[in-house]
Amino acid sequence: MNQTTGNDGSATDTFAHVEDRRASSGIDRDLVNIVAVFALSAVLILCSRFVSPALGSWNQVLTILTLSSFLIVLSFGQGLVILVGGLDLSTPSLVVIGGVLATVYGSDGNAFYVLPIALCVCALIGLVNGAGVVILGIPPFIMTLASSIFVASAALGLTGGTPRGNSPEILAFLMKERWLGIPVVVYFVVLFAIVGWIVQSRTTLGRRLYAIGVNREAARIAGIDVGLTEAIPYAISAACAGFVGMMLVGYSDGATLRMGDSYLLPGIAAVVIGGSSILGGSGSFVGTVGGAILLTTLGTVISAIGLDQGYRTIIEGSIILVALVLLREDLFSGLRLRNRKA
Amino acid sequence: MSYAASLATERTSRPTLRLKRMLSGGAAVVFVLYLAMYALYAWFEPSALSLYTFTNLMNNSAPLAIAAAGETMVVLARGFDLSVAGVISLTNVFMAIYPIEGPLGALASLAICMAIGAAVGAINGFLVAKLGLQTIAATLGTMIVCQGLSLVFLDAPGGYVAQWVSYELTDTLFGVLPISGLIVLAVALLWAGFSRTNTGLGIYAVGADEQAASLSGISVTATRFAAFVGAGILYGLAGFMLSAQTATGDPNAGESFLLLAFAAVALGGTSLSGGRGGILGSIFGAGVLMLLQKVLFAAGVSSFYTGMFQSVILVAAIVLGNLIGRTFSKGAVR
Repeated sequence: MNQTTGNDGSATDTFAHVEDRRASSGIDRDLVNIVAVFALSAVLILCSRFVSPALGSWNQVLTILTLSSFLIVLSFGQGLVILVGGLDLSTPSLVVIGGVLATVYGSDGNAFYVLPIALCVCALIGLVNGAGVVILGIPPFIMTLASSIFVASAALGLTGGTPRGNSPEILAFLMKERWLGIPVVVYFVVLFAIVGWIVQSRTTLGRRLYAIGVNREAARIAGIDVGLTEAIPYAISAACAGFVGMMLVGYSDGATLRMGDSYLLPGIAAVVIGGSSILGGSGSFVGTVGGAILLTTLGTVISAIGLDQGYRTIIEGSIILVALVLLREDLFSGLRLRNRKA
Repeated sequence: MSYAASLATERTSRPTLRLKRMLSGGAAVVFVLYLAMYALYAWFEPSALSLYTFTNLMNNSAPLAIAAAGETMVVLARGFDLSVAGVISLTNVFMAIYPIEGPLGALASLAICMAIGAAVGAINGFLVAKLGLQTIAATLGTMIVCQGLSLVFLDAPGGYVAQWVSYELTDTLFGVLPISGLIVLAVALLWAGFSRTNTGLGIYAVGADEQAASLSGISVTATRFAAFVGAGILYGLAGFMLSAQTATGDPNAGESFLLLAFAAVALGGTSLSGGRGGILGSIFGAGVLMLLQKVLFAAGVSSFYTGMFQSVILVAAIVLGNLIGRTFSKGAVR
């Protein structure tokens, strides 16, 4: 008897929550958030002129865009995983795998088939993550943490600690050349952002991911193949991370086994700062791009001031916490719900 | 059946329930696994049965065992605490840059380590229990801040831990009992007492069914908060024991504990969806993981590949735990 009432209570609660979330994350609020993130980046770039005259110039803006390209690509995949209520902690290892595969096998003119194959390998690892989460029911962050350590350990063993080889030419071209005075990668990242936005917000797949993130059960009843759809973001995230590894190889002309480490937390931070709920089901890629640019700008300014990595890490963590507290879904709707109940 | 009713049944039929909980909690399973691992280790490395090797093993396992014990408290209350890595790094760095000599100095260091852990735990508890943030997200934030702080205080591995701490705490009592093992035992006994208090039972209740717990008069907020603070204190102790063992500081010392702590909890049979399990299982789970490293080393497997074995064991443990949970308590576990 009691059991039934309890269940009924929780069911109503779930629906109330969904309704509230829809009400609180209207277009206005998202838009305000995105504009704020971009405006903050712009202000930060302009203000950095006071720190050092070399900062804040047009060239500086291009450098920041180049540096943020890594984070933008990475956080697209991470954002999709977070959208369905997961978290991908395997990105650092996949950055390494992408970079290592590109340098070890892609150096001598066969990059045109090696790079796509390497991306497929990464996506396959991501699918394993997805399968672990969906089929075996392992919590996403534990599954991805485990596969991250597995992959890192494999990469360490296979390369013996030092990956050999150079960057394939095509990657060096992408990361180092300029076209009409603007780095090629800036064109690429603008294109990537547009395509990413379309995939997330304007395709059937994207909408299904939102549906799953908001309410998995409702999505299932609505006829979505939840299991398969939920696994896809993990594959995309892994492929994105692998590609970031290749970009890093093109940028610094070689792979190291620790090159992914510094991208895990900023990748998650960019998504959260961009206004996506860590619980899934809300946010847009445009916000994430803004978050990535803001974080990169912040990093550049902090290192220009001469602050250590430690302070940068503290600021990153604090930003995540502040963003979480400010963006709480239930901050306003929770109050409303309480009033309605009372 | 409501929680209050199940609590009543529990009070009347404790022994059978505890046996069932132990089986479904998997502490017995992991204990058998530990013995089997030890036998395997002794087979590869006959010196494994000597007191010296056993003391070494205890010293190596103690930090992880205590960290996993702390993580268990949060997991039981249906949460995940990533700050374990941050607190261990931070306390290790503290021990290395402010060494206080002598037994009283060690006591003072221990108190400060636990206070650091409690403070971080209180922040986690506030963010999660009071502000309603998701546990992973909130503790991810505090973990990053703690790691940043560690880097600010010590930007590269170095420093020396007080000699008294690094010598005495890795030694044996009366020449037979490893002190680190005794400290782990003390943690287990404290938990055995604590889990019978109202707060201790509350942690299980909140983890099993938050709504039912709240309806039967348990303060969910206070219980969650207590779980995080208790966990933080244990992470502080783990950082203290790690410093005694390594005798030096490393701002990234805690990183490797993140996966291993969860692996130990899962191996120990604590359900990752909360409400089922206990600290004893996690302690033996940690022991199994450390033994695994020794066995692989003794068998001549390159240390590069240790991570592969650890992650496979973690996943296998969770899958097995889910299966056991499903068979023992049909319907209760999703």
